[in-house]
Amino acid sequence: MSEENATRKLTIARAMAEAIAQEMRVDERVFVMGEDIAALGGVFGNTRGLADEFGTTRIRDTPISETAFMGAATGAAMDGMRPVVELMFVDFMGVCFDAIYNCMAKNVYFSGGTFKVPVVLMTSTGGGYSDAGQHSQCLYGSFAHLPGMKVVSPSNAHDAKGLMTAAIRDDNPVVFMYHKGLQGMGWLGTEPAAIVPVPEESYTTPIGQASVVREGTDVTIVGLAMGVHHGLRAADQLAERGVSAEVLDLRSLVPLDREAILRSVAKTGRLIVVDEDYRSYGVTGEIIATVAEHDLGLLKANPQRVAYPDVPIPFSRPLEQYCLPNADKIVAAFDAMGG
Amino acid sequence: MDIKVPDDLWEGDAEGVLTAWLFDTGAKVSEGAIVAEVMTDKVQYEVTAPTGGTLHISAELDALVRRGDVIGSIDAG
Amino acid sequence: MQPGRAEKRWMYETMLLSRRYEEAIEKIYLEGKQPRFDMAAGPIPGEMHLSNGQEPCAVGVIAHLDEHDTVTATHRPHHQAIAKGVDLKAMTAEIFGKGTGLSGGRGGHMHLLDPRVNFVCSGIIAQGMGPALGAALSRTLQNKPGVAVSFIGEGAVNQGAFHETMNLAALWKLPLIVVVEDNAWGISVSKKDSTAVERNHVRAAAYGIPGHFVPNNDPIAIYDVAGEAVARARRGEGPTLIEIETDRLAGHFMGDAEQYRPDGEKDALFARDPIPRLRDQMLAAGELEADEVPAIEARVRSRIEEAVAFARESPYPQPTDALKCVFHPPT
Repeated sequence: MSEENATRKLTIARAMAEAIAQEMRVDERVFVMGEDIAALGGVFGNTRGLADEFGTTRIRDTPISETAFMGAATGAAMDGMRPVVELMFVDFMGVCFDAIYNCMAKNVYFSGGTFKVPVVLMTSTGGGYSDAGQHSQCLYGSFAHLPGMKVVSPSNAHDAKGLMTAAIRDDNPVVFMYHKGLQGMGWLGTEPAAIVPVPEESYTTPIGQASVVREGTDVTIVGLAMGVHHGLRAADQLAERGVSAEVLDLRSLVPLDREAILRSVAKTGRLIVVDEDYRSYGVTGEIIATVAEHDLGLLKANPQRVAYPDVPIPFSRPLEQYCLPNADKIVAAFDAMGG
Repeated sequence: MDIKVPDDLWEGDAEGVLTAWLFDTGAKVSEGAIVAEVMTDKVQYEVTAPTGGTLHISAELDALVRRGDVIGSIDAG
Repeated sequence: MQPGRAEKRWMYETMLLSRRYEEAIEKIYLEGKQPRFDMAAGPIPGEMHLSNGQEPCAVGVIAHLDEHDTVTATHRPHHQAIAKGVDLKAMTAEIFGKGTGLSGGRGGHMHLLDPRVNFVCSGIIAQGMGPALGAALSRTLQNKPGVAVSFIGEGAVNQGAFHETMNLAALWKLPLIVVVEDNAWGISVSKKDSTAVERNHVRAAAYGIPGHFVPNNDPIAIYDVAGEAVARARRGEGPTLIEIETDRLAGHFMGDAEQYRPDGEKDALFARDPIPRLRDQMLAAGELEADEVPAIEARVRSRIEEAVAFARESPYPQPTDALKCVFHPPT
């Protein structure tokens, strides 16, 4: 590894594009389709430069026809291609979800495991910039709930590249959910901690493996994507009070690394789950249930969740900011657990 | 050698914002490597290393920059 | 069907109101976003899709409607909202995210809903078509007056909802008018890269209903075609598809560098701006006196100033209001 290689950093947007490009160079079956991904390079920058290198046969702009191109990704994958398909905002799943959860997600099963369906569905999530209720949702739990799709969501560029490479090489549908606020797009706000060193050579980050991004002994903060950064900031605040918080980045929701969650909670005895998706019937409940059904005795206090309340995402800034998770809410959740 | 926001990066005299440094100060970079990203409106532009060497950052993340501004330097030594 | 003098004057003044309104919004939107373009900053955060250039579509069609008729619009809704008579003060306050806005700040500029004049819009492409179909169905079931108009962009005709809605409207002979505002671009992807069909009005033939094409962004020609379509709908003879060749003078959203446009395209668009064109036609025809032009301009500006002042001075909602109105009745 050269010195430059060891220190070069990328945004998540660039890391995604680099992973796709590297796979496209070695595997002619990989192609990309979606809205505004060719000349524009993706509204959130994750296909920038690909059309220049690979041309518009392999980097294909589509019309606004999600049902058709999600179905097409499935059909092409079952016919031997390895499509990467973009759903510009995850909220738009509403117009094409049959092609996703009833077809893409089920055809491996319906074929008794004889068909491979190697689709990567990449889609943007998250709010915080007043884009209101049809452009700000996360919907992590909706995808993770329905069987047949692997689901990943990186919090930094290193994992983004490794997870994208792993997703393209996987023979199953992988939903790659990237948070808009972590893309390094500037106009959506910048999270410097998401811009991290990324090796130039190709590598994979295993799907289904969580990562301890900060070690601690008093409380476990579990999150994904933007939630990890809230968790890290909360851990800083708690450290000032002498509380040692461990932060676990799930990275994958399906498969879920339950062992890592249990390992951490066994050590700390306290659990806070952070999620920008809706509170009820979602990721936070699943994580807490994982601990509860394994061994309630691990818990020294009632577990807490910091999640989006069960309301559509409002436009007005004071309304939206009131609803979003943040570090202060995590600290307050810790205080709510009692000593 | 100075790293400047290229004069032809965008049209007009709009100010841009430094949205990412892709290396830290002290890193060894090669000529042509993308070292930084600058944004105007919703468009991001790349700033590349004019020569190979050791990077020194002078404009911090989120700094406002104009075309031609020096944002860092490279010590070719 | 030709507009009378009064209707033409309404069309001109409404187009001008919409244009000046968006010019005001554009300026305010950039407050707090320069030099750093941070979408979350300033008095109007979030995305902003301007309809500058597309005003003829709104006035040419809505001139035939009243408050009983339903309009469903898109993520680019200001021109139609203004023409339909959505309260300008409440709409502006909504765009500012204020508690006095149409929904108390819950929706913002892509979600302007006003039951008083039967107006809704949405941020999802082609989403308004089904609800417009439903409004048309409901009118026939209840024997109530009123037709439904679904405004969509040319990108929306490639969505499944378009086909399904057109088929049902034709089958059930519903009073629905679908208006395609063809501004040639879906964000950065051109129409020619989105469909092999050169003109979308020909798709009407697939459903056995009339399809009309109005070239040249001409409000008078739009008025003519829309008049026939609305009259046909009111007579119970079924739906019509209208395709209008219009121009998006701004980017897809504010902050769009529009690098995808061919060189010179923007200049050509501004050279055929429909508002001065209609003004000059009306002046030449004696339907507008030269000294009225500044008076109309002043009237329009004063309405906008009043709406903007109302929005600026209105308080933000209480943060906990976010939790209200999920269900009816609101708590």
